[in-house]
Amino acid sequence: MSTPRQLAERRQLLRRLGLIAPGMAMLAVFLVAPLAIMLLVSFLQPGEYGGVKWGEYSAEAYISFFYERDFDDNLVFNTDYLGIFQRSFWLAVATTVGCLLIGFPTALYLALQSEKKRNLLLFLVTVPFWTNLLVRVYAWMLLLRNGGLVDGALGVFGVPEGSVGLLYSSGAVMIGLLYSFLPFMVLPIYTSLEKLDWRLVEAAFDLGANRWQALKRVILPLALPGMLAGATLVFIPALGNYIIPELLGGGKALMIGNLVQLQFGSGHNWPLGAALAFSLFSLVLLALLFNGLRQRGQEVRA
Amino acid sequence: MSSAISIETLSMEFGPGMKALDEVSLEIRDNEFFTLLGPSGCGKTTLLRLIAGFEQPSAGVIRLYGEPMQDLPPFRRPVNTVFQSYALFPHMTVAQNIGFGLEMQGKPKAEIAATVERMLALVKLPDVGGRRADQLSGGQQQRIALARALASRPKVLLLDESLSALDMKLRKEMQIELKRLQAETGITFIFVTHDQEEALTMSDRIAVMSKGRILQVGTPSEIYENPANRTVADFIGETNFLEAQAIGEQLQLADGQTLPSHCSAQGAVTLAIRPERVALSESGNLAGEVEEVVYIGTDTLYLLRVAGQSGFRVREQNGCGVRPLLQRGAPVRLEVPAAAIRVLSE
Repeated sequence: MSTPRQLAERRQLLRRLGLIAPGMAMLAVFLVAPLAIMLLVSFLQPGEYGGVKWGEYSAEAYISFFYERDFDDNLVFNTDYLGIFQRSFWLAVATTVGCLLIGFPTALYLALQSEKKRNLLLFLVTVPFWTNLLVRVYAWMLLLRNGGLVDGALGVFGVPEGSVGLLYSSGAVMIGLLYSFLPFMVLPIYTSLEKLDWRLVEAAFDLGANRWQALKRVILPLALPGMLAGATLVFIPALGNYIIPELLGGGKALMIGNLVQLQFGSGHNWPLGAALAFSLFSLVLLALLFNGLRQRGQEVRA
Repeated sequence: MSSAISIETLSMEFGPGMKALDEVSLEIRDNEFFTLLGPSGCGKTTLLRLIAGFEQPSAGVIRLYGEPMQDLPPFRRPVNTVFQSYALFPHMTVAQNIGFGLEMQGKPKAEIAATVERMLALVKLPDVGGRRADQLSGGQQQRIALARALASRPKVLLLDESLSALDMKLRKEMQIELKRLQAETGITFIFVTHDQEEALTMSDRIAVMSKGRILQVGTPSEIYENPANRTVADFIGETNFLEAQAIGEQLQLADGQTLPSHCSAQGAVTLAIRPERVALSESGNLAGEVEEVVYIGTDTLYLLRVAGQSGFRVREQNGCGVRPLLQRGAPVRLEVPAAAIRVLSE
């Protein structure tokens, strides 16, 4: 026999489960299940013409990160994939830092404008989203190619046409990433600066801080949450980006995304593609975990 | 006494025809508790912000101990502010907040730490140095804001409505606390408030402001006893105004009743009479009629109709064994001594 109290508690529990069930179901179907499939695929044998051989397990995909088999079936250390991971990582880091350097002053400028002007400028920041990314990246190709606008402009300063080779380089990929992810940095920083109580800046001036000191000691620390959010929003998609290195890197500056696409496409090696994607996923997860732990550490200290 | 701040024909315009300050001139003495008093929008906060350097004057000079200040940025002025909202840095500890000014001056760490300790003791909060500012109560934040502003030993401390966010009891405490701090530090305090009681309690001298101008500067008693004009009399304390004609030694009211005059003004005048300086008395020299009786514990407030004007306030202290409260509509007589009448001719 249950007491009325136990019954009430059970009903409460059921109600709670009922309320979270739709959310949990969605996460299970759209997040957990695809990841599980991807993990499974990464441990299978590749099929002859793409696909996988179900039921034939192997860690070959992960081994081939570091080693390749020579003619005698010996494992030989190979840094090709690691090199691409490294390039992706540094390009993503450089993009994040570049976005911070350009995004913070932009957001600060936005936050200091009158309300009317501010709304117009914010609107302008979001205008690029109105055009398909592909179109915008093609526009960059036109700008950066030999004989393009940038090349021509350099020609004015006496640099011979076509000698710089802007397009199809890590530099071009970097410019493309910087360009496409800048708004994702500007907007969160702007949000945290907009909430900033400017009387605090006045207080800093009042206590003898000059403009630079006020920026360093008051504005920057208070904009830090926005900068961290922006860095996350830029770093993660930049790390796994596919379309920009594909078009602006031209196969010479591959990133992880291109590698994954290659394995699922012409490489006919789905397990390797899945393993690469899963490694990228773990890398991002680690970065987020690190960030989370750092934040919790700060809260505990406070 | 030397002057700490001397302001000459200072004007501030926010736009054409929008004058926040209109040729204000003012001397504030060294080591003085000086209050700028006025209703909101009278320009008192603008004047404070001009002294601090947050705004640029349209015209005029601000001198601090003889040195012109109006072109210096706020961080070069030896003046600190206690903001209405306290403006404590939320990302720093209390100790870091207090030490901020000294740090900006490049003082060594040991000296900063010692000063922070001293300041925390001065505002009687010795144990909160390690906490974050937002973990303190409003009253504590107020004290920390004071400690922060005093830490770098400014020549003048500006307080912008600094007590208005506190509840009544805490505010009374802080009023006394501020007076003590001012006496202990010997720093000139300039206090901005719209609360006339607060101004009267705390100040050595008060400047009453209205519509961008200074109406009167004086000690609390000068301002209360001898208001320069109707606006000052109306703003400071409770005042009854009666229209009258001054004829010789007599002040003739609208209904023909007369009151004695001790002043030489002639013609149309306004009489300002404080409610607590007159008494209901059967042998009084002025007749009226009770309109309303308000019992407020220590006092009873009578609203009378006198010489055709309604709302004449009389405040009587409630002693022991007083007569029963008067009824509405009852005829009464008022004792108005000549000394209680302030004749304003404007």
